[in-house]
Amino acid sequence: MSEATALPVPDRTIDTSGTLCPLPIVETAKAVRALGAGGVLCVIATDPGIALDMPMWCRATRNEHIATLRDGKAWRSYVRKRKP
Amino acid sequence: MSRVAKAIGMISGGLDSTLALALVKRQGILVKAVNFYTGLCITETQRRKGGRPDGTIPRNEALRAAADLEVDVEYVDLSESGYLDMIVAPRYGYGANANPCVDCRIFMMSRAREIMEREGADFVFTGEVLGQRPKSQRRDTLRTVERESGLDGRLLRPLSAKLLPPTLPEKEGIVDRERLGDISGRSRRRQMELARELGISDWPQPAGGCCYLTDESFARKFFDVLDAREASGEPRRIAREDVVLLSTGRHFRLSPRAKLIVGRSEMENVLLEGYAPGRARLEAKGLNGPVAIVEGEPTWEERMLAAGIVARFGKGKDLALVPVEWREEGEVETYEVAPERDEARIESLRV
Repeated sequence: MSEATALPVPDRTIDTSGTLCPLPIVETAKAVRALGAGGVLCVIATDPGIALDMPMWCRATRNEHIATLRDGKAWRSYVRKRKP
Repeated sequence: MSRVAKAIGMISGGLDSTLALALVKRQGILVKAVNFYTGLCITETQRRKGGRPDGTIPRNEALRAAADLEVDVEYVDLSESGYLDMIVAPRYGYGANANPCVDCRIFMMSRAREIMEREGADFVFTGEVLGQRPKSQRRDTLRTVERESGLDGRLLRPLSAKLLPPTLPEKEGIVDRERLGDISGRSRRRQMELARELGISDWPQPAGGCCYLTDESFARKFFDVLDAREASGEPRRIAREDVVLLSTGRHFRLSPRAKLIVGRSEMENVLLEGYAPGRARLEAKGLNGPVAIVEGEPTWEERMLAAGIVARFGKGKDLALVPVEWREEGEVETYEVAPERDEARIESLRV
């Protein structure tokens, strides 16, 4: 995603800072389950592996990985829940 | 309309479980992959410490396998359940180190059975290969695990299926036995051939297992903690934070009541810092060196010994005296100690 492209406003944000693989993904899965179809989740993480994990998790679960961006010492990952 | 068969696949992301996933999926069966998090994964610890020495971050192979094969994946956190109690007192004993592989498989497959029931799935499958491991993948052990986990007849090992009695999903026609494998033994040649046949080209190199319990050095520290607790009149048990500490730093057993852990790198120092509350924190004052923590109730002599060892691993190791700061419960004391130079003594204390 180019920086010029605006990121969607998330319907929910979760902060997984301090936890490591695979716990940010465990929390992501729980939060996405609770979202409506097409809803956007923002995941804040300090595990550097999130930049690898989130796109793979989205590919496996057929949710949309919008972007994972560095934000200081953390990362912000945006995921859109798949439509049925 | 006929119902689509569904299976729960236990995956690590290694070659065997990736192949098992592909073999079941290609039969038109809906698969949900499950990966169990125990807190004892070496890759996860590498990430915690900032990645590999070359700066790369190890990828999560279970996620990679599920993504490559487009299979839904669920992580199940076992690290806070009865899992840690099980590894302390395994019914079927340990392997070469602290690895209770048979009990661990029973524990995980029991959880997989619960997921199978919750999801309305027909069976569970794994990437186990007959005869690949000396204890946990023998014919009799595979049967024990199947029976003890409550998966009688519902546990399929696709890679070795033709060498094992037919399972219920095979008898019911859900799975075509003829399209499963007949692989056995420790060689990976057949698996590599099958990977080529199935178009799988990306898998991790075998690295001697990803579980700390199979590691000799970790096992020594693991049993040391249990033995020391028992000697102090405490129950033989392991907590989640023990698992993190056992994979961090140099460990020195000062007495059954006290242990010193000395950081070996900047990342380990940061990690130990996080575990200082409730313990004593030691560091040489005004000199570069490791952060260390002391667990338990050291005597005065043991305090001095711990401070001397911390001084020994810092930049002041060649000085006559080094000031070592001892912080505990809000109190700070500084001890002027000679760095411990008796290497034989240090080695005798090392766990």
